[in-house]
Amino acid sequence: MSFVLFFSALIFLVAAGIFLWPARRHRAAKNVNPPRPLFIEETAEELGINVPDTTKRPSLTESDIYLPHNYGVDRMVLLARDPHWLFAYWEITATKQEEFAGTYGTKAWLSTHPVLRIYDVTGITFNGNNALKYFDYYLEEKIDNWHIEVGEPDHSFCVDLGRMFPDGRFITLLRSNIVTTPRASLSDRLDEEWMWIEELYQSVGKIKYGTSSPMIIEELALRKGVLPLGVSSPGNWHA
Amino acid sequence: MSKGYLCLVLHAHLPYVRHPEHENFLEEKWLYEAITETYIPLIQVFEKLLADNVSFRLTMSLSPPLITMLTDPLLQDRYVCHLTKLIELAGKEEGRTYGSSFHETVLMYKKRLQEAMYIFRDQYGCNLVNAFKKFQDCGRLEIITCASTHGYLPFMMSQPEAVNAQVRAAVDLYTRHLGRPPLGIWLPECAYAPGIDEILKRNGLQFFFTDAHGVLYASHRPRFGIFAPIYCPSGVAVFGRDIESSKQVWSSQEGYPGDYEYREFYRDIGYDLDSEYIKPYIHPDGLRVHTGFKYYKITGKVELGQKEPYSPRRAEEKAAEHAGNFMFNRQHQILHLAGMMERPPIIVAPYDAELFGHWWYEGPQWLENLIRKITFDQDIIELITPSDYLKKFSCNQVATPCTSSWGNKGYHEVWLCKANDWIYRHLHMAAGMMTAMANRRNGARGLLRRALNQAARELMLAQSSDWAFIMSTDTMVEYAVKRTKTHLNNFLRLYDEIENNRIDEGWLSDLEFRDNIFPDMDYSWYRQPAPEEKAV
Repeated sequence: MSFVLFFSALIFLVAAGIFLWPARRHRAAKNVNPPRPLFIEETAEELGINVPDTTKRPSLTESDIYLPHNYGVDRMVLLARDPHWLFAYWEITATKQEEFAGTYGTKAWLSTHPVLRIYDVTGITFNGNNALKYFDYYLEEKIDNWHIEVGEPDHSFCVDLGRMFPDGRFITLLRSNIVTTPRASLSDRLDEEWMWIEELYQSVGKIKYGTSSPMIIEELALRKGVLPLGVSSPGNWHA
Repeated sequence: MSKGYLCLVLHAHLPYVRHPEHENFLEEKWLYEAITETYIPLIQVFEKLLADNVSFRLTMSLSPPLITMLTDPLLQDRYVCHLTKLIELAGKEEGRTYGSSFHETVLMYKKRLQEAMYIFRDQYGCNLVNAFKKFQDCGRLEIITCASTHGYLPFMMSQPEAVNAQVRAAVDLYTRHLGRPPLGIWLPECAYAPGIDEILKRNGLQFFFTDAHGVLYASHRPRFGIFAPIYCPSGVAVFGRDIESSKQVWSSQEGYPGDYEYREFYRDIGYDLDSEYIKPYIHPDGLRVHTGFKYYKITGKVELGQKEPYSPRRAEEKAAEHAGNFMFNRQHQILHLAGMMERPPIIVAPYDAELFGHWWYEGPQWLENLIRKITFDQDIIELITPSDYLKKFSCNQVATPCTSSWGNKGYHEVWLCKANDWIYRHLHMAAGMMTAMANRRNGARGLLRRALNQAARELMLAQSSDWAFIMSTDTMVEYAVKRTKTHLNNFLRLYDEIENNRIDEGWLSDLEFRDNIFPDMDYSWYRQPAPEEKAV
C-alpha cells in the first residue's frame, strides 16, 4: 500500500514538475543575479516614511479601483533598469493580429511563436537590419512584459516583438524605443574638456590646465575594495 | 584659509498624504511626526545658530508636496490638534512615570512638545515654510527645489514633456512660496538619466546632485572624481555624493545612528502600554501606532524587550562626540585630497532630512554640534553651498553623468521590479494623453481649463516615486497601490470627459477639493515646445 502511495506521489510530482516547468523557468530567468558590480556602495532609501508594522488598518473605502489593462494602442516600451537588465512592456491590438492573419493566413498566429528579438544597436543608426548582434527570447503566449538580462553596461538596445514561424522566419509586430544601459565602471575616455560659464558667474576662478591627474582615480579605485557590502538602509535598523 | 569645502544637503520630502475625507488618516501622521521630530528641531537648531551669530551655510531641499502640506490650512489645524493631544499625553506620562528611570525622558518630551507648539503656532503662524524662508533670506540656508511630486524622472524621459511639467510646476511653486526662483534641484531619489539636465536648464536650474557613481562614471572621466562638480554638456552643474561621509551617517552597522546610547525607534508606548490607557492617543479603531514617546536606548544588538532606559544627557554627549569624529574625518579627507588637487576639494554629504530627528533622534543635535565645531574649532573645512562654490569656481570639466540613483544597487531596480513594474504601462500612457491634450487644447478657459489642470494634478500625484518605492518594500503596499490607481483612474475619467466634451463639474469640484496640490497648475506645461523654444 505504501509503495502504491509512494509511486502515485512520485507520478504527481513529475506531472506537477512538467506542468509548472514553464512558470519556474520564467521566474528563474528573472532572478538570475547580475554580475557583481565593480563598486558597491551603501544606499540611501526612503526615511521619511514611518511604516506602521501592522496589518490591521481601517478598511479602504474603494474596494478595487478599475484600470484598463490595455489601451487599444500598439506599443512597446523599453526601459533600461540597470547596467545589466532591461524591461519591456507591450500591447498588441486585435487589429494588429488581424493584419498578421490577413498577410500570413488565418492559422499563422497559432502556428507561430511569440519571440522577443533583442538588438545591440550601440553606436549605430538602427534601420532594422544593421544591428551589431541580436538574440531571441521565446515567450509564452499572453505575456505582455518581460525583464531581459543583457549583461552589457553602456550598450544601446532595441527590441522587436514578433512571431517566429517553424521555419525560422521572424515577423516583427512591434518595435521598441532605443535605450542605453548605464555605465558600471569608470569611463575610459580620458581627454578633458572644460567649460566656463561667463554669464552665470562673474567671479574668476584660478584653474591650472595641465597633465591629467589620475591619482585621485587611483585613490578611489583603492577605496573600492574596502567599501562595505550590503549596507542596509537606515530605514531597516534593528527591524 | 580653509583647505576644502563641506556641502551638507538635507533633502526634505514626504509624499502628498493630505486626506480631507477622514479625520484620522494614518498616513497623515507621517507629516505630523516629521514636523515634530524633524522640521521643528531643525528650525530650533538654525534659530540657535542664528542667535549666536554662527555664520553657517547649509543646503536644503523642500519638495513641492511638503511645501504644499506645510502651508495647507486643514493640515495646519489638524497638526495643532495632534500636538495638543501629545502634550496632554505628556502630562499624563509625567505623573505615571514619576520616580522611575523614564521620568527624565518624559520631561524632555514634554518640554520639546511645548516648544514645538510655540514655534509652530505662535512664532510662525502655523506656516513652517516661512521659517525656512527666513533662514534662506538671511543667508544661512540655500533652499533648492525637487520635482513636483517626486516623480522618478529617468522613467518619464520617454515623454520629456512630463519631466518638463514636473520641473516647471516645482519651480513655480517654489517661487511663489520662497519669493525667488530656485537655483538648484534635488532630483527625486537622486535619479538621473541623460537629457534631464537639458530640461533643468530650460527651467532656469543651474545644478543638481547624483550619487557618487553618477559623477565618478561620467564620460569623459572627471579629473577630480567626485571632489569637484562637473558640467553636463548643457552647462548644468552636477555634484556627486561623497561615499565616505555618507557611510558614516547612513550605515546601519558603522553609522552613528546605531550607537548604543541613542534612542531606540521601535519601542514606543503606542505599542507598549495598556490599550485602555493609550487608546485616546492611537488610532480610534484601536490600531496601535507610534506616539513618539520612546523611553529606551538602542542598547546594542538585543531584543526589543531587553532595551535599557534612555538617558537624554548621555545621548547628547554622544551626539557631540560623533560630531567631533565626523569633523575629524572630514579634515583628514580634505587634507589628503587637497595635496592631490589643484583646487580645494568639495565634499558633498546629502541626507534625507527625516533621518535627522525622526529616525536618528539626536541627529539635529549632532548637526548643531558639527556646525559649531566647524565654525569655531578649526580652519581646514569651510561649509559651502553649491551656488557659492560655482561662484568661486565657475570653470569646470564637461562630462556626461552616468545614469544612476541612490537606491539599492545604485540604478533603477527599486523603482522597476516585479512589485511595481505594472505601473509604467499606465503612467506612460497617461503622460502621453496629457501631452496630447495640452497640444490640442491651447488656451483653454473656464471649465475645460479646470478639468485639464486637474488632469495634470492627478497625473503628477500618480507619478510620485514614493508609491513605487513602498510597493518594492512590501509594507503598506495596499495604500501605495490604491494611491497610484486612484489618481490614474481619476485622470482617465477626466481624459474621457474632456475628450467627449461632457465634463462633470460636480465631480471635478470634488477632485479639486481632495487633490488640491498645485493650485496654480498650468496644463500648458505639458505642451511640446515649438522648435524655437527648445533651442533657447
